[in-house]
Amino acid sequence: MTPNPSLRALLQQQFPKAAIPATGSLAVGSFAEWDSLGHFNYLMLVEETFDIRFSVEEMAELKGLDQIAAALAGRGVEGL
Amino acid sequence: MTRTTLRICATSHLLPGNAAWAPLEAQWVLAFGDFADWPTALMTVAADALLWILTLEDVLTPESLEGLDGGSLDEALAKLMAPLDARLATSTQPTVVAWSTWRPQSQISSARHPSAWSQAGQRLEACLYDLAATRPALHLIDLDAALAVDGLAAAFDSRNFYAAGCRFSRKGLARVVEAVEPVLQRIAAPPKKVLVLDCDGVLWGDVVGEVGVGRILLGGDGVGRAHLDIQRAARRLGRAGTLLALASKNTAADVWEVFDRHPDMALTRDDIAAWRIDWTEKAGNLESMAKDLELGLESFVFLDDNPFEREKMRLALPQVTTLEFPADVTAWPGLIDGLDLFARFDTTPEDASKTQQYRSRAAFTDARRGATDDRDFLAGLDMRALSVPLDITTLARAEQLAAKTNQYNLRNVRHTAGDLQTMAGSPATVAFLTRLRDRFGDHGAVGLTLARITGDAAFLDSFLMSCRVLGRHLDAWMLGRLVMLLQERGVRWLFAEFRDSGRNAVAADALTAHGFARWTGPGDDPRRRAVADLSAIEGELYFADLDRLIIPHLDLFHDPQPQPPRALAAAVS
Repeated sequence: MTPNPSLRALLQQQFPKAAIPATGSLAVGSFAEWDSLGHFNYLMLVEETFDIRFSVEEMAELKGLDQIAAALAGRGVEGL
Repeated sequence: MTRTTLRICATSHLLPGNAAWAPLEAQWVLAFGDFADWPTALMTVAADALLWILTLEDVLTPESLEGLDGGSLDEALAKLMAPLDARLATSTQPTVVAWSTWRPQSQISSARHPSAWSQAGQRLEACLYDLAATRPALHLIDLDAALAVDGLAAAFDSRNFYAAGCRFSRKGLARVVEAVEPVLQRIAAPPKKVLVLDCDGVLWGDVVGEVGVGRILLGGDGVGRAHLDIQRAARRLGRAGTLLALASKNTAADVWEVFDRHPDMALTRDDIAAWRIDWTEKAGNLESMAKDLELGLESFVFLDDNPFEREKMRLALPQVTTLEFPADVTAWPGLIDGLDLFARFDTTPEDASKTQQYRSRAAFTDARRGATDDRDFLAGLDMRALSVPLDITTLARAEQLAAKTNQYNLRNVRHTAGDLQTMAGSPATVAFLTRLRDRFGDHGAVGLTLARITGDAAFLDSFLMSCRVLGRHLDAWMLGRLVMLLQERGVRWLFAEFRDSGRNAVAADALTAHGFARWTGPGDDPRRRAVADLSAIEGELYFADLDRLIIPHLDLFHDPQPQPPRALAAAVS
C-alpha cells in the first residue's frame, strides 16, 4: 500500500510556489499564500486525497496541520 | 508557447487556486476577478478572452419567479444579458458562457406541467442561443449536460456554497473545467481532418481474410451490432466534414467484398476518401495518404483495435493522434460520438461534401497527369468562379478557411469569426469568398480575400485558398475580382505581405507571379506608413500599381462577372 502523502507534501502541492517553513507547527497565515481561500482549497485537496469529507464547522475550525491530522485520525487516517 | 490571458468571472465563487483549474492554467494565464464582479468584467474587459460561469440560482430566486408571465420573465433575462450583450457589441475576443440552471426540485412539482423554474431555465437557454446566432464571438456550454456525467447532485456542494460561496463540489469544478477546455481549444485550433480506421476488429468483428464475408461480426445483435454502430458513428463524422480513410493489413479484395456484398455495411465506398489495404506498415501508408490528400499528418487520427499497431504508430508518427479506446468495442460508438477532436462549432455546406471534394481533387490530379498540354487541360475544365460577400451567412466558412488553410495562405493570420465580422462590417474593407465549380464538381467556397483600404492604398489582409483547388489559377481570378472592387473604390496601390510560416511555400511566388513587386520604397512613404497603421508587417512586403497590373490566366475562367478593365485588356491581348 502506498503510504499516505504527508499533510506537508499536500501543502506544497497546493502552494507550489510558496516557501514553506521546514520546521515548527504550521497553520493558516504561516506564509503569505496560505490565506483563507488557499486554506479552503487545501482542505478540499486533503478531502480528495483521503476520500473523506469535513463538515462545514470543521472547514471553519481546522486551521493548522496538527488539527487536521487529528481530524483525519478521528476518521481512521493515521501516520501523518 | 505564449499563454494568453483568460478572464474568468462568475455569479458565484470559483475558488481560484483550486487544483481543479490546473488543466486550464497550463494553457492560459487565468485572471479571476473579484467575487461576483461579472457585470463589470463583461463590460470592461474587452481585450481578453472571457469565461463567464453563470448559475441561474445566483441571479434569480424561485420567489422572484412567482407571478411572472413570459413577457416579464424575458424582461428579467434581458437585464441579466445586458452586460454580455454590451461586451459582444464591442469585443471580438472569444466569450464563453457556461451556464447551469439546475436546482433541487421535486419531480412531483413538474409532473403535470413544467415548473416556473424549468421554464426560466429554458428561456435563459433560448436567450443565449438567440444571442449566439448573431454574435460569432459567443460560445455556449450547457454545464448541466456536462455535470450530469457524475450526477448533478454530486457536482454541486451546499457546504462549499455556505462556507465559501462556491456552488460546485471539487469534482463539479473539475467537470466545469473539462467542459470549458475543449471549447477554448477549438476556438484556438481547427478540428482534426481525417479519421483512419482499421477494418478487422473495428468496422466489423473477426478477420475477414480468415472467416470470409459471411461470417464476420456485423449487424444483428451483440458485438456485431456494436461494430455496425461504430460504422454509423464514423459515417456521421464523415457527413459532418471529417474525411474517412482505411488502413488495413488485409487483402484489398476481401475488404471491398465486405463493402460491396455485406448487407449490414453502413459505410459505402463513397464514404471513404483514401485507403491503403495491403501488408505494409501502417505508418508508411498514413504518410502516403497524407501526401495524396495534401494534408499534414497532425490532422490525422488513427483508430485500430490492435495495441501493437497503435504503439507502432505512436513511435513512428507521434504527430498522428492515436486513439486509445478500451478493449470492449461496445463502448466505441459512444466514444466516437463524444470525440472532441473532430467537433466543430458550425457545419457548413462544404463540410457535408468534403469527401466528394477530395475525391474530385484526386480525379483532377490524375486527369492532369495524363494531359499532354496543361493549359489546354485547364481551359477545358469549364471553370466557373463566383464571389460571395462575407456576411453572417458565410462567416462560419470564412473562419474555417482562415483557421485551416496552411498552404496557400499569404500571411497565415488566423482571424476569428468575431474579427472577420468586425472587419467585413467596416466600409474600409473589401471582403469576399470565392466559390468554384468545374467539370470535376462544385468545390464550394474555397477562397477568402480580405483587403483594407486607407486612402488610395489598400492592404491585402487575407488571401488564401483551399488546397483542394490548387493548380487551377483560381488565385488569379480572386485577385482580378479584388482589383475590380478596389478600383471601384478609387484604390490605386495594393500592398500585400508574404509571411513564411514554414508550410506556405506554395504561395511564396504568388505575388510576383501576378504582377506584384517587392516594396523597396522608403519606410516613411505615406502609403507605406498608412499600411503599417493597418497591420504589423513581419514578412516581405510587396505592392502593385493597379492601373498597370496585368493578371495572367483570367481567360481560363468562364466568368459571369466583369473583369478588372486592365486585366481584361491584358487577357485579350
